[in-house]
Amino acid sequence: MDLLRRFALGEIDAFETLVRQFQGDIYAWIVRIVRDPGIAEDLTVETLWRIYRTRQQFRPDGNFAAWARRIATNLALDHLRRKRPEQSLLAEPAGAPQSDHLLQRETREKIQQAFRRLPAKLQVAATLALVEEQPYDEIANALGTSVGAVKLRVFRAVRILRKQLNHLGLGPGVART
Amino acid sequence: MTEHDDREIREALKQSFPAMNTELRRDLWPAVLRKLDVHVAPVPWYDWALIGLSATVFLFFPQLILVFAYHL
Repeated sequence: MDLLRRFALGEIDAFETLVRQFQGDIYAWIVRIVRDPGIAEDLTVETLWRIYRTRQQFRPDGNFAAWARRIATNLALDHLRRKRPEQSLLAEPAGAPQSDHLLQRETREKIQQAFRRLPAKLQVAATLALVEEQPYDEIANALGTSVGAVKLRVFRAVRILRKQLNHLGLGPGVART
Repeated sequence: MTEHDDREIREALKQSFPAMNTELRRDLWPAVLRKLDVHVAPVPWYDWALIGLSATVFLFFPQLILVFAYHL
């Protein structure tokens, strides 16, 4: 019997095969959004558990990867909504020189903090589109919306960020950090 | 808001966020299985009924405990 049909019927072996096949992709998607490997692993486990729990809702002829990604995105969104916006990433960008200027570090932290204050939906769209440069149609599918709606969210995120950064005194030239 | 401002914001974001390693470090199946075991295996009502009935019988006929233990 087809793997997806067996999974929909509740076969644990079929579900294990799907877990081993898709856990990497699900994790990669979530970690791009939440930016924390430990949290991304927890959310991946939660995603897989919810996939099994709602298996009757899945049509065996449907797209399992897209369905899994939608569940994962919703969990990541919930996580961002619960998370305090003041938390900022302290890790240095990959390849940053050891003697990074203090002002540049402060500027980066201000940008990160301003970004974290965005509404969760805008934050997810902007992270995936601008930071991770994922295709808009994939982002739209994962969010359960249209490409136009994703572009609008990205536009609104950039507009809010511009206002916040101006308010923080980071005007034109902010990219030269 | 000019297109130039847009590009600046986008570039600033890319520079401000560290590149993420998207490779999964470990197999999550054991963790998923543990979560399934916790939530998927409740004790059915008839098992509880059998335990209750057995406890009641042993209370009134304690000598049956020895008979039960012998057959185990």
